[in-house]
Amino acid sequence: MSRVEEFGSRWGLIIATLGMAVGTGNIWRFPRIAASNGGGSFLVAWVVFLFLWSIPLMIVEFSFGKRTRRGAIGAFVETAGPNFAWMGGFVAICASAIMFYYSVVTGWCFRFLAAAVTGGLKGQGEAEALWNSFAGTPKAIGTHFLALGLGIAVVWFGVRGIERVAKILIPTLAAMVLILAVRAVTLPGASRGLEFLFTPDWQALGSPKIWLEALTQNAWDTGAGWGLILTYAIYMRAREDVALNAFLIGFGNNSMSLLAGIMVLCTVFAINPAAQQDIVGAGNEGLTFIWMPQLFAEMPAGGLFMVLFFGALSFAALTSLIAMLELATRVLIDMGMSRRPALLCAGGAGLVLGMPSALSLDVFKNQDWVWGVGLMLSGLFFAIAASRFGLERLRNDVINGDHSDLRIGRWWVVIVGILVPIEAVTLMVWWLYEARGWDVEGWLDPWQPFSVGTVLMQWAIALILLLLANRWLANRSSAGAAKGAAS
Amino acid sequence: MTPIATTMMVLICGLVWGGFVLLLFRAIKQEKRKTDGQRKS
Repeated sequence: MSRVEEFGSRWGLIIATLGMAVGTGNIWRFPRIAASNGGGSFLVAWVVFLFLWSIPLMIVEFSFGKRTRRGAIGAFVETAGPNFAWMGGFVAICASAIMFYYSVVTGWCFRFLAAAVTGGLKGQGEAEALWNSFAGTPKAIGTHFLALGLGIAVVWFGVRGIERVAKILIPTLAAMVLILAVRAVTLPGASRGLEFLFTPDWQALGSPKIWLEALTQNAWDTGAGWGLILTYAIYMRAREDVALNAFLIGFGNNSMSLLAGIMVLCTVFAINPAAQQDIVGAGNEGLTFIWMPQLFAEMPAGGLFMVLFFGALSFAALTSLIAMLELATRVLIDMGMSRRPALLCAGGAGLVLGMPSALSLDVFKNQDWVWGVGLMLSGLFFAIAASRFGLERLRNDVINGDHSDLRIGRWWVVIVGILVPIEAVTLMVWWLYEARGWDVEGWLDPWQPFSVGTVLMQWAIALILLLLANRWLANRSSAGAAKGAAS
Repeated sequence: MTPIATTMMVLICGLVWGGFVLLLFRAIKQEKRKTDGQRKS
């Protein structure tokens, strides 16, 4: 490993980490989930869980990275002990499995951006026709390769490459979403979208579903508990703060979600209010790749705004993909590989293992379901590792240590030690219970794409292999450090 | 827009966007302090 690899400045770290956090989930999931879960009431619960899940876990990840300077497996070995390498392994597998199909999603965004640029989405039904003829077909392999190829090209130049690219893409992404949001709120009838988004239904706050959806949104779109912040934190300078950076990323990510929510819902209500139920109920892909182009096509200068929309989506997806690629690469570097061979292994695995998701939407949705719920287990593992290391020790030595810009009180110890594990277990049980209702007869069948059985089977395979290889993982995870020290 | 929706919009946007801007200013200030301290030493 090269210990000289570090971000050039605090702003480089923050922009790259924001790039990791802001992904397609902010643009295509947040508006839909907020709209279908009580609008203003959902937003209250969503803000509450920013403080009760996202930021506390981001603090854990930043402090692990700064303290251990190791990727997911090595960090767990150094904090929780060598018997817990398997937990870090699960975090790495979960994020890598997401990377495999997220590259496919990034490819879809590129394809629609190209179609928007060439004016191929303007006609009635053209977006739907493109989606049907492209997603889940061999054509999607080309854009999957392109997305991963671009990611590999960026990570090839190490953390400085990531920083340089993020410094261009993230401000551009923010500007694009801001322009789209300003355009959307100035459309005639847009205030109905704002009213829909912000009107609270206080009775809905008594429903557990609103709170669980808000917690899920925080778990999925902030990147907390994925191991990605930990990976970037390895490269933070020694003088860097932990807590203030975590707060900044959490608020920055949710600021972008809010902007995207306003942009999407104002556009929907201004252009086609009669179809709002169909639009928000169309799922992530349906909303983004079928409905949004149709709405933009009906808007004055819609072609330009369509380009901005798919440009923003492509940039958001690519910067998150880069972080996932770096996580997998970093784990291999810790095992003694040099950066570029490690990157080629991680990228090569992504190219091959992402192909089934490119070729079949059922495989894609299955993987999204299995590893999306797996992220909650990853979050739980981070809380367990932090507790084993000693929450007070972590708070005093790393978070509130030298160079701290924001002192963290004992509330963080209570949240990470008690609340986060309860939240993670509740979320997993709730999602698996919900899945039981989707297919009452086949809920335990591991070959059904959205069953409880498929989640349990794939997790079990990963966990059994990791437990069998635990000792080897624990020993190998510091090989890179030993190699670096020797050289 | 109804008064309750307007109030919620101001509160939520104020908290999320306002919080982000305040944290950003604090980070800029702290970073400047660290850089100045490093230069002096």
